[in-house]
Amino acid sequence: MLKKTLYTLLVSTIGLMALETGETIPQNIQEQLKLENDKIYVVDFFASWCKSCKKELPLVEKVYQDKSAEIIGINVDKNREDGEKMVSDLALSFPIVYDTDKTLVETFNPLGFPALYYVKNGKILNIIFGAVDEIDKKIDADMKVLK
Amino acid sequence: MQITTIALVAFLLMGCSMIEEVKPWEKENLAKPIMQFEGLHPEVTKFESHVYFSKEASRGGSGVAGGGCGCN
Repeated sequence: MLKKTLYTLLVSTIGLMALETGETIPQNIQEQLKLENDKIYVVDFFASWCKSCKKELPLVEKVYQDKSAEIIGINVDKNREDGEKMVSDLALSFPIVYDTDKTLVETFNPLGFPALYYVKNGKILNIIFGAVDEIDKKIDADMKVLK
Repeated sequence: MQITTIALVAFLLMGCSMIEEVKPWEKENLAKPIMQFEGLHPEVTKFESHVYFSKEASRGGSGVAGGGCGCN
């Protein structure tokens, strides 16, 4: 009985652990995000209620327009319509995945929002949590280092 | 008696472990304007703060800004 309880606790703890720099994203998630090999992706988690995300996303869009990096946005709003409205209002053109069932965000388990992950060949190269001033310049600089 | 006390303390501590952490992506309600310390009408709070400051000759200590969306 005690062994079973401890095992359940251990499994649930491991399940809740966040993906850190240097770790590999599970294969099913890589497939869901349609990640191609040898490309560096910036995976950006955001929500319509997150004010910092609203401030950052136009700058992330600028990075995408400048073709400085491949961007994948992951919207975590409970209601897909809220996410779609935000994407439409901010005129975001990069690929967006609507994570209404929270599968992706619970796998990455970020510590803060917005959360930006640099991913290459399924491996996390770097992570940025929280709002960053001039995130476009930060991404450009990071991409130069990571390439 | 001692065993009962230990069992009671263990039971209470077990209750503490069941408090679920609110994840950053679950803070939608906390990020709503109504959840701010000043409420929906910050101008009213500002006025009240001014009255308080004038009467008590002291200010501050009324909380921090931000809705708690986990940013920064």
